Amino acid sequence: MKQKFRDALRTHAEDLQRDWQLYLLLAPMIIWFALFLYKPMYGLLIAFKDFSIFRGIERSPWVGFAHFEVLFQNDMFIRAFWNTITISGLGLIFAFPVPIILALMFNEVQNAVARRWAQTIVYLPHFISVVIVAGIVINFLSPSTGVVNLLLTRLGFEPIYFLMKPEWFRPVFVSSSVWKEAGFESIVYLAAIAGVSPTLYESARVDGASRWQMMWRITLPCILPTIIIMLIIRIGNLVEVGFEYIILLYRPPTYETSDVVSTFIYRTGLQGTQHDLATAAGLFNAVIAFVLVYSANRISRKVSSTSLW
Amino acid sequence: MSAVQISDVIKRYGAFEVVHGISLAIQPEEFVVLVGPSGCGKSTTLRMVAGLEDISEGTISIGGREVNKIAPKDRDVAMVFQNYALYPHLSVAENIAFGLRVRGERREVISQAVSEAAQILGLTDYLSRKPADLSGGQRQRVAMGRAIVRKPKVFLFDEPLSNLDAKLRTYMRAEIKQLHRRMKATSIYVTHDQVEAMTLADRIVIMNFGNIEQVGSPMEVFLEPANTFVAGFIGSPPMNLLDAYIAKRGGAVRAVLAGQSGQSLAVPDAFASAATDGQPIKLGIRPEIMSVRADNAPDVLECAIELVEPLGAEALLHGKAGGQSFIAKEETLYSNHQLNSVSRLGVDSTRIHIFDAATGRTLKTEV
Repeated sequence: MKQKFRDALRTHAEDLQRDWQLYLLLAPMIIWFALFLYKPMYGLLIAFKDFSIFRGIERSPWVGFAHFEVLFQNDMFIRAFWNTITISGLGLIFAFPVPIILALMFNEVQNAVARRWAQTIVYLPHFISVVIVAGIVINFLSPSTGVVNLLLTRLGFEPIYFLMKPEWFRPVFVSSSVWKEAGFESIVYLAAIAGVSPTLYESARVDGASRWQMMWRITLPCILPTIIIMLIIRIGNLVEVGFEYIILLYRPPTYETSDVVSTFIYRTGLQGTQHDLATAAGLFNAVIAFVLVYSANRISRKVSSTSLW
Repeated sequence: MSAVQISDVIKRYGAFEVVHGISLAIQPEEFVVLVGPSGCGKSTTLRMVAGLEDISEGTISIGGREVNKIAPKDRDVAMVFQNYALYPHLSVAENIAFGLRVRGERREVISQAVSEAAQILGLTDYLSRKPADLSGGQRQRVAMGRAIVRKPKVFLFDEPLSNLDAKLRTYMRAEIKQLHRRMKATSIYVTHDQVEAMTLADRIVIMNFGNIEQVGSPMEVFLEPANTFVAGFIGSPPMNLLDAYIAKRGGAVRAVLAGQSGQSLAVPDAFASAATDGQPIKLGIRPEIMSVRADNAPDVLECAIELVEPLGAEALLHGKAGGQSFIAKEETLYSNHQLNSVSRLGVDSTRIHIFDAATGRTLKTEV
């Protein structure tokens, strides 16, 4: 056993000596991961302790799963969790297909100049700060000066307080997120489409396929592995909703539908200084995300032979 | 099956002309091979017939109908591509059926056509497999299956064997030949491999720089090359083209090697009449008509052998005669040592070729 270990160690040392340049290139990434993703995991201990800033993590007493019990009995957390799932689910249903459709549409635009213009226009919102986007949405939907309400008033309807009504929060959030990100997300699919061999289309043209048939029978199946990978990643993020954007858009009257786990953690941990409870909520979120992404990956591997790992 | 008529076809990409007004008539059921070096315009010509490239000038007709403005799907042609162009997400059966399915054929018709094609091509056991699970040869057969189920007027092959290894290429070559005999379809086949061209073609079209250099049966282009390009392209190893000039003395016409050696070969009558005394020429000698058995040969070249390449059944002799490099082909009846020490090569001068040095055209009067 010792001999085996020594042999393995020697092999690694030889590898390191031979390929040190490659390891040097890898080092910044490993250091980044270690410092910013693995070291903070130590802080997860807070979720199992009666944490006090003054005592620190080490000297705070263990409380086991007490915070989780409190969390699961907290109606606010349960509501935030289901809100997160609902908003992400709506995003998955409505926002996920949009970049794919956009990429397919761009691919069909034959005029290169028109295509470049269209792409630039839909990519632009991605580069606008989320604070500005929230500002635009708030102004756009303002009951007194917003374009939408002015239009509604002109048409004889009563103005709607979109950002004050719980039932309007999710549609506003999902649609404005689509507007902001769909174009930029389409780049991934456009790159996948660019990877499809042009000969497949030429062969299909000779065989008699129409553009519509080529899109359905060649483009979509060929980019399916990319779609599945993006879907797995999206499912992994199902319990995470754009925190800053929600914070900027939600108001107490809409908490019923807009309060999500991340905003719950923000209010409980930072504003309410219940760091241990907030960490427990965050850990619970992470475990759920892990289970989701792992399951999605396994299912995808079984069903379509495509997987993240 | 249909005739294909290519008339004065020009292809330009912007201001750059790549095909310079070629004309070619392909008879129904004929197997025509377009051959030439990379960039000679053979694939572009094929793609214009398929409808994948626009025609800048001229006309292409299939079965008597001009197809310049007709979409590829309506030309009734099927094409086999170099990289097979198989749909990776579809099974072999679905790949073969693709053309029929997009044309809305009935399910029973598709199923019947697929099983027939699979039987012809020996793919019956692989119908449920995906292209990734097939070998190169099997993939190529699937590509051919996709073409034959459509029963098109014209088959187009764009270097279909280029991605296969030498052994498989030989095997698939024979399969394509047999398939053509069976289907009796008009076929246009593009390759840069002259062996493929020689073995498959009813007629070979040799192209260079967007022009047709010669059209003829495989043996015609081998035995009667119209110019130095064809002479140098067809044959393996290619014809030796030595710098020489014509010397007419009395009734005798000889081709004298350029340089100090003064060595000469008798010029066959077919070339002699068009040759003028002192005319600079290219003397074409096929490696096969040179022999180490110099004693009984009609003519002899003094030479020095520099390298012997044994190929198994025969050997290639690289040498110099009158300071000019040549390659001779000899049966391996002699040891390397014997071949290395050869100083005289017999030449069957009745089979040599004479080309005008300036134009590169043959001086043979019947051609």
